[in-house]
Amino acid sequence: MKRIVVALAVFALVAGSAFGQNVIKIGANWPLADAGSVEAANAAQLAVDEINQAGGVVGKKLQLIVVDDEFKGDKGIAAIERLVTVDKVDVLFGGYASGVQAAQIPTLKKYGIVTLATGAASSALVEKALGPSPESDFYFHLHPWDYEQGQSYVDGWNAIMQKYPNVKIKRIFLAYEEGAFGSSSFAASKALYANTSFVFDGASFKSAASGGSDYSGVLQAAKEFKPDLFIWGGYAQDAIGIAEQAKAMKFAPPIFVGAPPAWPADAPTNPLVQNEVAYGMWSPAINKISETSRRFTEAYKAKYGKAFTSYFAPLSYSGIYILADAIKAAGGTDKASLIAALEKTKYASPLGDTITFTPSNVIKHQGIKVQKIMQWQNGTQQVLWPFEAASANFVYPFSFPK
Amino acid sequence: MVVKRAVMYWLAFGLVVGVALLMWKPMVLVYGIQSAGLYAAVAIPMALVLGIVHIVNLSHGEFMMVAAYATYFGARWLKIDPYVALVPVALVMSIFGFIVYRLTIRRALKSPELNQLILTFGLGIALSQTVNLIFTSQSWKMYLDYVSASATIGEYDFGIYDFVFVAAAILLALGLRLFLTRTRMGKAALAVGQNPRGAAIVGIDVDRTYAFVFALSVGLVGALGAMFLTKQAIFPGVGGPYTMKSFCLVAVAGVGNITGILWASLALGLAEALMNSFRDLRDWSSIIFFIIIFATILVRSIKERKA
Amino acid sequence: MSNRSSVALGLAVFALAAALPLLSGILPAIAGPYPMSLARSVFTYMALAVTWDMLLRSGQVSFGIAGFYGIGMYGSAIAMLRFGLPPLLSILAAGCFAAAIALLFGFIILRLRAIYFSIVTLAMAEIFRIILHNGGDFTGGAEGLILPNLISNGDSSLYWLALGGVALAVGASSWFERSKMRFALTAIRNNELQAKSSGIGIFKYMLIAFVVTSFIQGMIGGIQIQSYGVASPDDSFSANYTLLPLAMALLGGVHSTIGPVVGALLLGVVSEVLKLKLPYGHLVVYGIIIVLVILFMPKGLYGFWVKAAKDRRSAAEARREAPHA
Repeated sequence: MKRIVVALAVFALVAGSAFGQNVIKIGANWPLADAGSVEAANAAQLAVDEINQAGGVVGKKLQLIVVDDEFKGDKGIAAIERLVTVDKVDVLFGGYASGVQAAQIPTLKKYGIVTLATGAASSALVEKALGPSPESDFYFHLHPWDYEQGQSYVDGWNAIMQKYPNVKIKRIFLAYEEGAFGSSSFAASKALYANTSFVFDGASFKSAASGGSDYSGVLQAAKEFKPDLFIWGGYAQDAIGIAEQAKAMKFAPPIFVGAPPAWPADAPTNPLVQNEVAYGMWSPAINKISETSRRFTEAYKAKYGKAFTSYFAPLSYSGIYILADAIKAAGGTDKASLIAALEKTKYASPLGDTITFTPSNVIKHQGIKVQKIMQWQNGTQQVLWPFEAASANFVYPFSFPK
Repeated sequence: MVVKRAVMYWLAFGLVVGVALLMWKPMVLVYGIQSAGLYAAVAIPMALVLGIVHIVNLSHGEFMMVAAYATYFGARWLKIDPYVALVPVALVMSIFGFIVYRLTIRRALKSPELNQLILTFGLGIALSQTVNLIFTSQSWKMYLDYVSASATIGEYDFGIYDFVFVAAAILLALGLRLFLTRTRMGKAALAVGQNPRGAAIVGIDVDRTYAFVFALSVGLVGALGAMFLTKQAIFPGVGGPYTMKSFCLVAVAGVGNITGILWASLALGLAEALMNSFRDLRDWSSIIFFIIIFATILVRSIKERKA
Repeated sequence: MSNRSSVALGLAVFALAAALPLLSGILPAIAGPYPMSLARSVFTYMALAVTWDMLLRSGQVSFGIAGFYGIGMYGSAIAMLRFGLPPLLSILAAGCFAAAIALLFGFIILRLRAIYFSIVTLAMAEIFRIILHNGGDFTGGAEGLILPNLISNGDSSLYWLALGGVALAVGASSWFERSKMRFALTAIRNNELQAKSSGIGIFKYMLIAFVVTSFIQGMIGGIQIQSYGVASPDDSFSANYTLLPLAMALLGGVHSTIGPVVGALLLGVVSEVLKLKLPYGHLVVYGIIIVLVILFMPKGLYGFWVKAAKDRRSAAEARREAPHA
């Protein structure tokens, strides 16, 4: 009970904690109940430790301060206010859910502190709230927007069809979860395919992540459409259920694609996902082509005792290095010079891509624009496209194990 | 006689609807019955607790989630099928339920209903967040080839595994009915449910009966958790929506009416499957659940007022 | 916990609650943006908790808070984006919209009692959510609506708005406590048949309570969107907005104005402090706190304090009388 009194006292007397001036503070927020976000926070801390061990930047040590946004808009806003006014951070970092990030935008704009965002892919929410340059120039967006992801798949499949002449794609069906995540990717895809020779259709389902349990309706519609390429856009919780029900309904399209933000922890051992195509940013196969990725994977495992599974780990690790390099180049955290330095970023990231910032449809500073097309082969996601990063050949057509 | 005639009318009506659906959209019948099975099986243990202990258990789904995790990791460790783990998991869960009853529920029995509601809500948060802390938010789904068992009618191929939930629901409803009407403990429980004070006067140990019924319900939902895991991915938040669905089904069926849950689930499952079978209506299919709840409760309240 | 320390705690908490109007008045002058943004979200939940309690005084447990709150968020956003209303008017419009819907539904659902009323309010909130989710471009569909021109950036007007919202809720609640409403609602809760036979127009009073509380909940939603800038079906109708105010009111003590106020203050601050101290696992502790308070203070903090103070007084009297014996 005394604690509550103490807590009240703390509330009444929240005061800025004066910390040593010899550090550069990076303030981050993620929803810490989410496994991928925990990995992102861990990876960021790992990068900070590595940089500090190597002597820090411009003679100062980096310090990472993480606040949980709890997947809630009001908590996300309070996190920013705390990081900026109490912890007095020099740069802002992190973010995961688009809804929370959109609610934070007015507060971020109020302070205009240089922000490197690791999450938030919904253009209709976040990019719209940000608005065009110059008012959104403080904001650097690392993760591809939803429409950029869609565009990179169109490019990828066109390239794959050229390389593998037996692969024919004309009809595409998207089964999307009915929430904002799935609906926005459906809307983006529909707009995208309207001007191409692809025939596109889609239908929604209720994700198991929000209590859904049956995919029969959407799979029946997909089966009747007879797609060459079938994509489901849902969550990890849907991955195996969709495959199981598709198998029961004898629906095995030539290309079976899953586009969840993460896969179930035991997916690598599940024979049903074998040869299913996966959209994403990173897989252990990248270790074969990227030395940075291999070193990061080992260092993460050494520090935290287990391997990371989400691409948010290498993404956030990259983000810290990008910030550190830019601070070095700018000679400090002065806003204008830091923005100028970030604009010159050229970072060979553990994701396998070299990250630079270029304009997107609305904002001026967009990082990664290309997603990878990968395929589950013997328990690992192998990269099919971009070909520079390819680690295996495309196994085609898809079929379920007997 | 009047009652019997009403039942006959309903049966005839159901038969006509069923045959019409079978001719028109056979898959709606298949999928509707399958999802009804899952809804009903999960809701029945909640109805048991509400009917006898008079507690709305908002941590109902979380108990199922905990059981599913226990089954998953137990079965993987011992390399056994989840169905083999079902009985031991149910036993362990009922002991867990008993402990939870003794430590928390029992102390709140005399409090207002609302306190019990928030108590079980708090229990649910503690359970799901503890699991999140230990196992993270990652989801898990075991590979079991029999889950994709398939059948064909005419031009349609469909999964038949979900009928196990229909069987479980019917078994649960019949079993509980037999238990409540044929066994001493069951009769005592029924008496306590109808009138705790009266039951105490005739010498029934009310507290022990409550403890038993609560533990039984957690054990049953534990067994369902083991089954649930064969078909669905598990993650810390998996129970929440099932708590809400069960709560709604129990209200539609009417407090204390266990077989009513079967009918309510069937109606909801069929209505949802029907909505799902039309392209343009699919986005609206989740509204049907709530509209049926709304309508049923209103109609019944009007009827009751007339009577 | 000894009686003395519990009374001390009670005094501290309620002294703080009593000082709240003053404290919240001067907060912008003494505190930085972080405590103020925290206060804003505490105020939001506080207003929801108080209004939920107002209806509870008739014995009816509503699970529809998130419904009217979400309607308010959307109402304000639509009023601004589609009808060009200025922010302040849009908040009023949001409240009126929520009230109109409450009036419409109230005629049907206020005749239900106990668990049936609760479930139907829950279903109602879900129906609102699904309609807005499927509303196409007008409601922004699954992604929702973004407000481009917010009331203010950087100054404290958002704070004053939130404070205004909670003041309205507390004002209405005290009016309920002092007027004929109190007598009528308590009579309905304690014995509806008797209330009916003694000539109380049960339905009329319940309808007033339902419409007034929904109006305020809608306005709170309208106020909240001015700082969020986003209304989306999943976030605006989140079950948090129903369950947290409920838990807060219960922890503070129901059937009063001060109870929900204290509960919202405590739970709001405790959850934030816990989060900062315990980044992983704070929600486990949060759940356990709810369980413990319900078990050991079944009448909430307010009820606990009232009882402890009474016990202390009688103990003191007993001591005073003892030497004579």
